[in-house]
This record gives sequence, structure tokens and C-alpha cells, in this order.
Amino acid sequence: MMSRAARYARYQRDDRLEISLFPFLSIFLCVMGVLSFINVLSSFSAPQKIELTAQLETGYKVAYQIFSLPDGVISVPPTKHLRQLQAVLDDADKEIIDVIIQQRKQKISNLKNHTGSIMNAAVEPDIDDILDTVHDIRTLNELALKANYLYEEFILFGIYPNGSQAYQKIRDVMSLTPDSAAISIGLEPLDSNWTLNLKKNQSK
Amino acid sequence: MKNLISLDSLTDIVSNSVGILIIFAVINLIHDNNKTYQLEIPLEHETDLSPVFFISKNDRILAIDTDTIFANATSQATSKAAANKRLFSLDYFGLLGKIDDKKGISFFARDTSEWPEFKEIEKRSSTLRDSLDKLDPTKQFAYFFVYDNTEDGSSSGSGFEAFRKTREYLKSRFIKSGWQPVNSESPANICSRSTSRRCVYQPSYLGGGKSGSNPNNSLNNENKSDNKAQ
Repeated sequence: MMSRAARYARYQRDDRLEISLFPFLSIFLCVMGVLSFINVLSSFSAPQKIELTAQLETGYKVAYQIFSLPDGVISVPPTKHLRQLQAVLDDADKEIIDVIIQQRKQKISNLKNHTGSIMNAAVEPDIDDILDTVHDIRTLNELALKANYLYEEFILFGIYPNGSQAYQKIRDVMSLTPDSAAISIGLEPLDSNWTLNLKKNQSK
Repeated sequence: MKNLISLDSLTDIVSNSVGILIIFAVINLIHDNNKTYQLEIPLEHETDLSPVFFISKNDRILAIDTDTIFANATSQATSKAAANKRLFSLDYFGLLGKIDDKKGISFFARDTSEWPEFKEIEKRSSTLRDSLDKLDPTKQFAYFFVYDNTEDGSSSGSGFEAFRKTREYLKSRFIKSGWQPVNSESPANICSRSTSRRCVYQPSYLGGGKSGSNPNNSLNNENKSDNKAQ
């Protein structure tokens, strides 16, 4: 005959609720492990994928960006503030600006309609195009100055690896025209995985 | 026996890991798409400062001692090679030279093994750092000829990274810097403005200290320096 206490003890041991932490610990450790793994991967995954903005400005200075690639150049003209500039000019000057705006919108549109990577849209720099571009920039700057409107365009070259040939050609052509004397110029080295995104900050 | 071999926990771990990886992949993708970069806006500008030239190639930086180089070039000028516009040795860290009426003296950097690596800039005492520390921000600025050719598998020009790092170091020391891309077809050259309009060496990046990485600061500082020059 079993005593009452012994029977009670056996009853307790059989029916006691046992909580196992194993699944929770496994999930927790998994999350920690994966997080650490991703962190390590991220820190070693240089160079990063970087996108360049189409519209670049600082204060009243606005960049006319020219990306120099091994196959040629991609020109990204600014259009954002031109309508505002046009509004403060007299009628004759408004027409000049209108032509420039239309030409620039056409350029942007051609780039946007380019099938495939935008970086494959580079074209050989054409002497007449360079001269026209420099002349337009000078015209815009002078009109803005005349109207006392705070706006100045400058040329910003983005130099990709093996892209100096096109840059040198443009600078050679620019040195031949007096239009370029009054235009500021900047240049930055870019890595080949830094791509241009026309949708970012581009005026509509 | 049946209880000992249970795949529940293993399945649990694997499915958790895969799920979390997928979530992170999606987050990374969204994050990547939103990552945009605005170029710095360094503008070339007139200055009274005199340039000190450097060549950046294969992750190495060479300070050009113009006195030594011009002395060596002068001694070679009478030689047949120099007279025939052929390459000749400048006896300076493997540099070859060529003299041209329009381009002045051009430098061809073929062997860069003796040049200081740009990582030496982090060492307190190194040839590169010493040559950079010698620059006087009130009298001089650094001008870099940066090679744009790519090494196998690299996404950057062979001199780009070294140039960027050195430029940042100079900036922290309030020393201005300028640059131009070069390669074997358009080599680095030093010439006089009287011979060609392209013979201009101007600073663009500003020695604005640590806060100068902001393009706004850069431009503001530049305008100030322009005003000062005027």
C-alpha cells in the first residue's frame, strides 16, 4: 500500500507544466546571427551603389552637369529655375530663354527615352554642341545679371574612369571661345558604379 | 527512438533564417534605391597661391620636386632624345619626360613601385605626409595630376582613391587643392600660360577644415576667397 504523501508526489511530478525555452532561444540566436552577418556584409560591400542627382545647385549657383565617360559624354542641363528667370525678363529675352528651355527639355527627354542603362547614352562630344552649350550658359548668366535675378550656371564635370579623353576635348574647345571665360568650372572624380538617376530632383 | 530524432527545431531555425534574410534583402533593395549622392561643388578659381604638383597613380602619390625635375630636364635638353621630342629619363622616381613647345614638359609615369602609397598618409612619419605637411596654406596649394585608367576589376580610376584621401587630408590642414585627370595619351604636363591657354593650374577644392565637406560651406568659403583675391 503506497502512502498518501508518496502518491501526491508522483501526481505532482507527472502533471507539472514544463516550459522549454529552446524554440525562443533558437529564434533569438538566429535573428542575432543573421543581423550580425548582414552588418558584416554591409560593411565589407564597398564600393557602394550610389546614384547621382540630375539637378544640382547650391544657393543661386546651378550646375550644368557633364559626365565624361570612356565612350563620350552625357550632358544633363538644368531646367528647374529657368521659367522663374524667364518671368522677370522682357519679351525679347523671354524668347531666347524659351528656345534654350525647349532645347534642354529635348535633351533630357532623349536621355529619359534611352533604352537600357543611362550610362550607355554617352555620345562623342561635338564641337558645335560644346560651343552652343557654353554660349547658352553665358547668355543665361548675363540675362540673369541684367535682370538682377540671382541665378548663375556653371559647368560641373563628373569624370568617370577612362573618361578623361572627352573631358580634355571639351576643355580644349572651351579654351577657344571667349564665352567660357566667364563661366565657372568644377570637376569631380566618379567611380564607375556611381550611376546617374534622372528621376531624382529633376524638374517636371 | 522516435522522440530523439525530431526535425521540428531544425525546420524552425532554417525557416526563421530564410524569412529574416528575405526581409533584409527587401529592406536593402529599397534602401539602395533611395540612396542618392550630390556631387561636391568645387569650382576652379583664380588664386595668388603657387601650385605644388603631385601625380596620383596606382594608389600612390608622388610629389613633384619641380626644381630637381627642371634641373634634370635642362641637363637632358641638349640630348638627342629631348631635341627630337622623344621620351627621356628625368632621373626622378621612374618618371620619363618629353619636351614640347605647346605642352611644356610632359611626365610619363610607367613604373610607380618606388612612389609612396597613399595609405602612408595615416602614418605620423612618412615621406608622403612629410611632403604634404611642408605645404604652406598661405602661399601654396596642391595640384594633382590624377590617372583615370582602371586596374582589373576596379570600379575606380587608379589614382582616384589616393587623390580623394589626400585631398581630404589637405582640407583638414586648410590647404586648397586642384586637379585634372590624365592618362598615357594625355599625360601630366607643366607649361606656361603664355604658350597655351590650357596651361592653367587652379585650385578648386577648398581647405575649409572638417566642416567643409558640406557643399554649401565649400561654395561660401570659395566666394570669400574670391572676394579676398579681388
